[in-house]
Amino acid sequence: MDCGTCETTPTIELNVPDEVDVNLTMTDKATAMLSEAFGDDRSHALLVGVLSGGCSGYMYDLQIVESTETPCQELNVKGYRVLVPRASSHLLDGIEIDYVDRLMGGGFKISNPNASASCGCGESFA
Amino acid sequence: MFRHEAYILLLEGKEVLQFIDGLSTNLVNGRCTTIFTQANAKIIDVCEILPLGENVAIIGYRPYKDALIHHLKPRILERQITIRDITTLNHVFVGPIPDELPEGSTRLENFMGGMAVIPQRYQIEQTWDETRWNEYRINNLIPYHGAEITPKVHPFACGLDALVHINKGCYVGQEILTRMRSRGKTGKTLVRKGNPVSNPTTMGVNESLCIERTQ
Repeated sequence: MDCGTCETTPTIELNVPDEVDVNLTMTDKATAMLSEAFGDDRSHALLVGVLSGGCSGYMYDLQIVESTETPCQELNVKGYRVLVPRASSHLLDGIEIDYVDRLMGGGFKISNPNASASCGCGESFA
Repeated sequence: MFRHEAYILLLEGKEVLQFIDGLSTNLVNGRCTTIFTQANAKIIDVCEILPLGENVAIIGYRPYKDALIHHLKPRILERQITIRDITTLNHVFVGPIPDELPEGSTRLENFMGGMAVIPQRYQIEQTWDETRWNEYRINNLIPYHGAEITPKVHPFACGLDALVHINKGCYVGQEILTRMRSRGKTGKTLVRKGNPVSNPTTMGVNESLCIERTQ
């Protein structure tokens, strides 16, 4: 198979959506859970990202990080640093992060006005 | 071997296999065949995945290329992945592949009996015409793009059950395919029938392929 000259073939242009200034809210329950996770340490941040995949094409990705190489918008939500990757900003504007206290299916839940569909477990959306 | 109307995309970047794995039906952790499906489990394209060093080639059916690119592009997000169209650099043939191929060629095993990707600099002609290719497919119950493999069907309907991994986690279309499999209700299936048949997907001399509703 010949791909030795592939540098001469043009790349397919990706239509990157415009970055939007993300508006993000967190319920009191979610804030309380973050408080437990962070304690008094404010050096860390909550990274709210989106990955491709999942039943509906996109998956939420929540991480507690000190820093990231991914270009992000940095928000201050109720005193907590929240990072949102710029490339995913159009998918995350307007979301609300909640925490559901259940033995099965519990954890952080995201309500997203940009999602036209989501899968049963709530981790994936379209 | 029969000339395949193929496209070849070269994906360059980090974790390309993982990216493809999250969007298709088979377990993608190396060389394999996999199916990209819509959320309703209808086929976008059935593709060969071929790792090439740091990069990964996706070989699919040319009329379905735009649909696949449309499916992949918005999901790249912050991944550092670029896509190049290297279709014009190679010939692609399917069916039984001769033992000897020109230098620089790649031989792949797949559900079509085989695939050869041969650099464009060689003048290579197909050895089978469409009639012979279709007879071979009918005899071996092999679905083909444009005939059985279309955007109107799901993988089970065109006999590609083996390309839907049984234990794999979430991907687009997975909920529907898993439910169909677990309940034993795949709706339609690929069959070979003696002529004459109504609504064949591939008409042969004595037998044909059809997609029929299961009982």
